[in-house]
Amino acid sequence: MNKLITLLTMVLLTTSSLLAGDLTGRQIIENVYNRKTPKSQEAILKMTLVNKQGKERVRKIKQISKDFGDVEKSIMFFMTPADVRNTSFMNWSYTKKGKSDDQWIYLPVIKKVKRISSDSKSDYFMGSDFTYDDLGDRKLDADTHKLLREEKFKGETCYVVESKAKDSDYMYSKTVTWVIKGKNIGLKKEFYDEDGEHLKTLFVEKYEKIGDYNIITESVMKNIQKKHKTVMSLSKIKVDKGVSDKKFTERMMKRGIK
Amino acid sequence: MIIRPSRASGLFFILLLLIPSGLFAETNIDLNGFIRNETGVLLDTDKDTEFGLLKNTLSLDLNYRNDDDTIGAKATPYIYYYTNDYKMDLREIYIDLFLDSMDIRIGKQQIIWGKADGVFITDIVSPKDLTEFLLPGFDEIRIGVTSLKLDYYMGDNTFELVWIPSFSPTVTPSEDSIWAIKRPIPPNAKLDMSKKEITPSLKNSEIFFKYSVLSSFIDLEVMGGYTWDDDPTLHMTQKVVGNQPIITVTPEHHRLGVIGGSFSKDIAGLFVLRSEAAFYYQKYFLLTTPDKITHENTDQRDYIHYLVGIDATPFWNITMSVQFIQRAILNYDDNIKDNQFDNTMTFLLRKLFMNDLLTLELFAYYGITNDDALIKPKVAYKFTDELELSAGAYIFVGDKDGLFGQYKKNSMVYMKAKLNF
Repeated sequence: MNKLITLLTMVLLTTSSLLAGDLTGRQIIENVYNRKTPKSQEAILKMTLVNKQGKERVRKIKQISKDFGDVEKSIMFFMTPADVRNTSFMNWSYTKKGKSDDQWIYLPVIKKVKRISSDSKSDYFMGSDFTYDDLGDRKLDADTHKLLREEKFKGETCYVVESKAKDSDYMYSKTVTWVIKGKNIGLKKEFYDEDGEHLKTLFVEKYEKIGDYNIITESVMKNIQKKHKTVMSLSKIKVDKGVSDKKFTERMMKRGIK
Repeated sequence: MIIRPSRASGLFFILLLLIPSGLFAETNIDLNGFIRNETGVLLDTDKDTEFGLLKNTLSLDLNYRNDDDTIGAKATPYIYYYTNDYKMDLREIYIDLFLDSMDIRIGKQQIIWGKADGVFITDIVSPKDLTEFLLPGFDEIRIGVTSLKLDYYMGDNTFELVWIPSFSPTVTPSEDSIWAIKRPIPPNAKLDMSKKEITPSLKNSEIFFKYSVLSSFIDLEVMGGYTWDDDPTLHMTQKVVGNQPIITVTPEHHRLGVIGGSFSKDIAGLFVLRSEAAFYYQKYFLLTTPDKITHENTDQRDYIHYLVGIDATPFWNITMSVQFIQRAILNYDDNIKDNQFDNTMTFLLRKLFMNDLLTLELFAYYGITNDDALIKPKVAYKFTDELELSAGAYIFVGDKDGLFGQYKKNSMVYMKAKLNF
């Protein structure tokens, strides 16, 4: 998992203004992936997990990320609930093709920073409806992209692009993304399981202009099969405020946030 | 078992409980903790007691940070309340000074090193509390040591130095505990405790160092220590008074030199490979047959202790971990009581269900040398984010001379309720 702060913006949102008429499915998604993102960012992430009875569970996380060029480093400090307080998670994600992410977790109970395998991409993040892979930046050429049609969604004319994984073992057989025509902002994404059944849908509820960037500040992932949903919202967002390199170290994972 | 609290720690606890938590709301103080009940029923009906575990715990975690985050402090008082007895102490209490490239921590602290899970190889700075064998969580097994710790940082490299002015040994269960350790003491032997204690002094202090790096290629630690053996050696002497031989057993801690290291590395994003090893210089071992002339029943040998393990999530989001651990005595002599090689494996399987509300877990130690094991299946359910109920078993099987098999009659099923706040 990486880029949690820019997570959904990376996948669904871009401010580039390419003319749409001539674009292929791949180009539409490429424009979404190549959006302008902050060099560094800090925010508080609130995740509200809602089960089918409407019962809520809330998680709060402080997130910091920084782009170092060949690597993007991010660190998360879990604030609530009480049983995970002071747990921290660090991810280094590389631009080099084929290089796996490096990930570490610090658990206050064992007082150790532990390296974890980055293979667990299909694991759900903190009991939410987002997998680690949903929160990361998937490589453009990991999927074959096809423009299906154009249609109206929430009053916007959107391209509907289907993306099929080249790896047959990938947890989603395909995803379908609604991208606003002319703005290249994704508003909705459907995920289909390995059997081709509709599994879940991501809705972007709100995005804001912060500095030079469009940042999604509220989104909802609805798991259709489990009738469970996760509302994700960002607050106290700071972009390009010169985050120190020292934030992304074992020292900070152990020390935690104030 | 009755462990009386000191007057000071008791007063501290009472004062803490009298402070309304709301008082901390607008300060730099953060208060967390948990309340927990554990009830375990022994499967062996021949025992004097039916309960292997009846324990209530209150544990608090009090943290302070100043405004500019240069000074911190922590205190973690706890109470274990048993049916008739209780124990009250401070798990940790220390002050932090955060400088630009250095952190200084002074006070009672748990210091955890190495990459092993559930095994102590280079993780020897904090001694162990084995009052309830290896059943409690490792945060409760490790004893905080009053020490000065310096960490100096250079990028992703860390140099750590620990000075412990006063030695603390392993805490062992009392003789009437179901976890009492069988000691090789002959019947009618006299016990001489005059050498058991290590007088706190500069000369008797312990010192450890560690260099570690956390990088994309590998996570690495190299450590060394000039310490005391946490477990006393049982020296035996024999005198003949009249016609009667009188055996005296004198427990004594000895100095121990240790060097070691550990690493963990992600292999192609598929699994994490971990290893840890330590070389112990001239540790005392008991002999099967004491020297006929001197009656000396111990001898010194170097030994190595190492581990290789992997962590992976190969399928169905099941977390798996396997470790192989070996302890080998070098320059072995058949008269040494311990085996030349002692091999153990650990296994962990864990799967989360229902958006992390339900956890199924199986952890096991398997002693290859003695063909014995401790198997710990567990199911835990979170009713809320604060309240977790769990049930499980501690199953001891195998050779009664083995580390785990000796507790064969202590197998039990248990239930726990834990409220985090």
